Amino acid sequence: MLSIYRLPNHIEGEKIIKVMRRDLFILFKKVLFSCLLFILPLGFFGITLLNYPDLFNNQITYPLVILLSSAYYLFIWLFFFFSFVDYYLDVWIITDERIIDVQQKGFFSRIIAEQRLYRIQDVASEVHGFFPTILKYGEVHIQTAGAKQRFLFHEIPHPEDVRNMIIKLAERSKKKHEARVNPAS
Amino acid sequence: MTFKLSILLIPYLLFLLLWLIFSLVAVYHMIKFGFKNFTTFFTTFIFVAVSLALLAVSYSFLMQIDWDTQITIFENAFNAKLF
Repeated sequence: MLSIYRLPNHIEGEKIIKVMRRDLFILFKKVLFSCLLFILPLGFFGITLLNYPDLFNNQITYPLVILLSSAYYLFIWLFFFFSFVDYYLDVWIITDERIIDVQQKGFFSRIIAEQRLYRIQDVASEVHGFFPTILKYGEVHIQTAGAKQRFLFHEIPHPEDVRNMIIKLAERSKKKHEARVNPAS
Repeated sequence: MTFKLSILLIPYLLFLLLWLIFSLVAVYHMIKFGFKNFTTFFTTFIFVAVSLALLAVSYSFLMQIDWDTQITIFENAFNAKLF
């Protein structure tokens, strides 16, 4: 289990600055979709019962409806929980030494990547679309020295603030790193 | 064609088995990879509690059905095709 007090490859004296997940609106969209799937069969049964009032009196349709409803609701509930797990386990952690990217992709894929702040070369934030602009969430791209792959903070709240924070922390970290490497200068 | 109503339970039980496996995987992910905090434990608890409630409600409905009943389907359609 991940502990906020014990990060992977813990560095002595490292302080956590920010822990981020996707914007809450992303979770809200998943909740809304699941709610829609929850009430969909109720409407369907309502309309069907209006046209076929004897539906539940039939020897075969009643057990079928019960079995299918049970399977459907169990599936929707699992689908909703997994949507939450997917949201909850995608975490970006900014410390005063590094950035850590933890991604859960599907049931059986998990990626953990980290990058030292002094290696950061370029940080860019992007906000595209109606809801992201209104609700102020978007992407932050982080380019590091030597690494072809860019770090991506996906759909995080207040990407501009996060970008500014990373730039400041990276500058501070670079100075600290230079002082460590060249103590005379 | 005549068959016992309990035949319908076979695909349902297979589905339940699959559902159980995926549920355990999801709970395992939360416990293994989630932060050690209240939200992780609370949401996992809610998932397990609601799942148990859904299973209990399903069980109570399924118990009211006589699964030994013999069902005949497509009888007329079969005869109409033959004669």
